[in-house]
Amino acid sequence: MSRAAYPPPRTIWDGINPIRMIGELSETRYWMYLLLLPSAMLITAVVLYPTVYGMQMSFREMRLNRPDLGTDWVLFKHYARMLADPIFWTSLRNTAVWVTSSIALEFLIGLIAALALNRNLPGTKLLAVLILLPYFLPNVVAGHMWALMLDPRMGVINDLLVKTGLLVGYKAWFADPATAMAAAIIVETWHSFPFFTLLIMAGLKGIPADLYKAADIDGAGALAQLRLITLPMLKTIIAAAVILRVIGLVNSPDLLLILTSGGPGRSTQVLSLYAFQMAYKDFNFGYAGALSVVMFVLLMLFAWAYIRLSKVNQD
Amino acid sequence: MATLSIKGVRKSFGSVEVLKNIDIDLEDGGFLVLLGPSGCGKSTLLSIIAGLESSSGGDIVIGERNVNDVHPKDRNIAMVFQSYALYPTMSVRRNIGFGLEMRKVDPQTRESEVNKAAEMLQIEHLLDRKPGQLSGGQRQRVAMGRAIVRDPDLFLFDEPLSNLDAKLRVEMRTEIKRLHDRLGTTVVYVTHDQIEAMTLGTRVAVMKGGVIQQLAEPQTIYEKPANMFVAGFIGSPTMNFLAGRLERADGGLVLSHGDAALPLTELTQDAGAYVGKQVVAGIRPETLHPGSGGSTLTGTVDVVEPTGPDTMVILNVGGQMLTARVGSRDRPKLGEAMTLSVDTAAINLFDPDSGDRI
Repeated sequence: MSRAAYPPPRTIWDGINPIRMIGELSETRYWMYLLLLPSAMLITAVVLYPTVYGMQMSFREMRLNRPDLGTDWVLFKHYARMLADPIFWTSLRNTAVWVTSSIALEFLIGLIAALALNRNLPGTKLLAVLILLPYFLPNVVAGHMWALMLDPRMGVINDLLVKTGLLVGYKAWFADPATAMAAAIIVETWHSFPFFTLLIMAGLKGIPADLYKAADIDGAGALAQLRLITLPMLKTIIAAAVILRVIGLVNSPDLLLILTSGGPGRSTQVLSLYAFQMAYKDFNFGYAGALSVVMFVLLMLFAWAYIRLSKVNQD
Repeated sequence: MATLSIKGVRKSFGSVEVLKNIDIDLEDGGFLVLLGPSGCGKSTLLSIIAGLESSSGGDIVIGERNVNDVHPKDRNIAMVFQSYALYPTMSVRRNIGFGLEMRKVDPQTRESEVNKAAEMLQIEHLLDRKPGQLSGGQRQRVAMGRAIVRDPDLFLFDEPLSNLDAKLRVEMRTEIKRLHDRLGTTVVYVTHDQIEAMTLGTRVAVMKGGVIQQLAEPQTIYEKPANMFVAGFIGSPTMNFLAGRLERADGGLVLSHGDAALPLTELTQDAGAYVGKQVVAGIRPETLHPGSGGSTLTGTVDVVEPTGPDTMVILNVGGQMLTARVGSRDRPKLGEAMTLSVDTAAINLFDPDSGDRI
């Protein structure tokens, strides 16, 4: 006679089935937060923490070459110093000139290039790639290349200008306070106008051809069509491109660092460069932090005001 | 208002000739419909009339003026596009008044003209909205408003109802007809929809492969199609084609098809030259009636399609399929034999080789 087969004894683990638990959790409203958690943690680690750390640094004394001063909280000391710092004001003014001039030129040339390339004439596909080439170059490479081309002794541009009679003698473009900023803006424009070309071209492809036909019949000339149809329809793209470029230009000191290092004198000193030099030349991280916070706030204010003024949200 | 003359217009894209020697004369206040399947060249012809496309030869004359080298804006035309082509960033008011704005019409006149057009189209309440906030039918009205506000010599419509649903299409069709009756402006209207062509046009040009197959009044096109293409393109269900040999019997003509013969007692065409030859008889489905009086056809019922007001019966007549439009209560059973009386006065005979009407 065989023994009766009894079921195994029940334990507390019998009620726990991980797959079923996940399934049940996915039906609740907490599931969304759970899915967001990994990215939230990553953003906290690489964006939020450094930002908050940088901000708190601006309220502390933090000079690597003056350990005797300690790292105490100094509240608004750096900000107060900034108000009385003539270099800060020069940098702010230069930043405004640097950003507005570069963006105005980049937008204008980018728009013209995009409109030309959008005509789908023979060879435009190849031209489109060629026009985008400068943007593929890293800032550092582009900076060194132009520094060489504009070199006062062996630069090809000086040579060309002298040979064509436009210039009497070789000129040190980056050594003259009157021309340094303009020369740097030209280099920056050359490097980044393809960004506008690329985005505007994408926008132009989305404008129906029928609108231009209707405008032709309505009697709108080429300029009126550009002003009343093309530009309004590109508004959102232009707004996005301008904001991205402003952020890029305000935050990145690399091109100016290579071309002029802020000189001659302070003629090309911009805020990002000043903050960079304050941190890595003077080792004054507290003041550099305060400068960065000011840049951050200015950018936020700019983006907010620009979006409001361009009425992008209304469409 | 003006007359329109299209004289020998040709258009080629490279080696492909899309319009071949088009000649059309349209009277002042006429409504010309360019009808044809996709790729027949009707929209290209409209673009050439508008000046949006250049022709490879020929002349476009609006009124007394040859406009071949005149810019679209100076042709005094207005166009309604299939996509409506409303300027998305402008309000309805500005969209309608845009043509006047570009012509430097003073703001007061502009405003009153826009209001007048809006009132005519019943869109006064939409004037401050943007096109994106409108339904398809409302956009269509705005597009028409933009066209009528300029009081042009010529209205051009490029498949304006294609993007609307079936019900709205019928409504807007009526609206366009009413507008034309009221304004009396000369219209050129492109469509592939034969119902639009039949209901709207005073003249219809049926096109195929860049050639006008027939240019006539809608009823003539329906009753006396110039060839088998036109006959098959106009009418729904399409015209039946019954192939057979034309013979003389008892002093009259008969169409022998298979083992049967269809007496053509009231034939309106002079087909004497075709006696003894193969022909194709075009028979409209509504000219076939159940019954055994007069000339008759007998076939086996293959498919019965009730449509509500009518019933479509597809018969196999000696191996050839014919459709008859019969009353909604006449529903024969599948497979049974059915005899249909034929209105032979409405029959069209075609040459099977050329496809042309005899």
